[in-house]
Amino acid sequence: MAKKRKARNKGDAAKLEMTPMIDVVFQLLIFFIVTLKQEDILSHLNVSRPAPDSAPPPEKKDDKLLTIEVGRSAWVLNGTPYAGARGLAALDRKLTKMASYSKNASVIIKCTGDSPHSKLIKVLNICAREGMTNLSVFSM
Amino acid sequence: MRRKRSSDACDLDMTPMIDVVFQMIIFFIVTIKMDETKNEDIVLEDAAQSPLYEGKDPRTIVIEVDKRGWLSMNGAQMTTKQLKGIIKQRYNHFGAFPVMIRADRRTLHKDVRKVMDICSERGIWKIDFAAIKEHKKKHG
Repeated sequence: MAKKRKARNKGDAAKLEMTPMIDVVFQLLIFFIVTLKQEDILSHLNVSRPAPDSAPPPEKKDDKLLTIEVGRSAWVLNGTPYAGARGLAALDRKLTKMASYSKNASVIIKCTGDSPHSKLIKVLNICAREGMTNLSVFSM
Repeated sequence: MRRKRSSDACDLDMTPMIDVVFQMIIFFIVTIKMDETKNEDIVLEDAAQSPLYEGKDPRTIVIEVDKRGWLSMNGAQMTTKQLKGIIKQRYNHFGAFPVMIRADRRTLHKDVRKVMDICSERGIWKIDFAAIKEHKKKHG
């Protein structure tokens, strides 16, 4: 019986031992599945930053110039405050309307030191959607 | 002979399974990114309507600002002074380069401002802010 089996094994030499290879391959597979991390798709918001020493330009009553102040809890667009739960939606509508007049209006965004970064990003997002590219960020 | 064959019934055809497993391994090897050295604590703000970040320019340096205002680059935390030194040295060697700021949505503007001021001191006026265009993973 033993002799017979030996002979048979010699016959189909291509049949090699699969078990260790499958073990290793499964280990690799599990490693890659565990370390796989789905990345968020990122967007970028390009702004220009004036020199640190230059003061924000004087406010002009010019409709080509949009001034958005970003504060701790509210936005102020050309002197009109937008705060609260509906503030962002109202600001969005107003900005959309203003952008429809002139796409290349200069937008000046003034941020107070205690305003969260998310508020600035929200404004920049609206501006990016409306295709306004002339954005400068000032700090107050 | 017939009886023996029925006894090792577990000797099934491995070939299709190994094919599939190898395909999966190759998929995971190709998609894995080992060079991720970014701060996982930073929660970016959503900006769905902003342009897609493709990361084309290899000169870009990414500066991370977490919610406490701590700065880091490529996973290494640093002080404003150190960052200033790095920016200065790089600027002197290679000239202007794009800067991307990955700031947490809760970061106060005064901390983001520090980074922008350091960049504009060296004549880097264009600043990119990172935001999330589309979520791939769900986080709490």
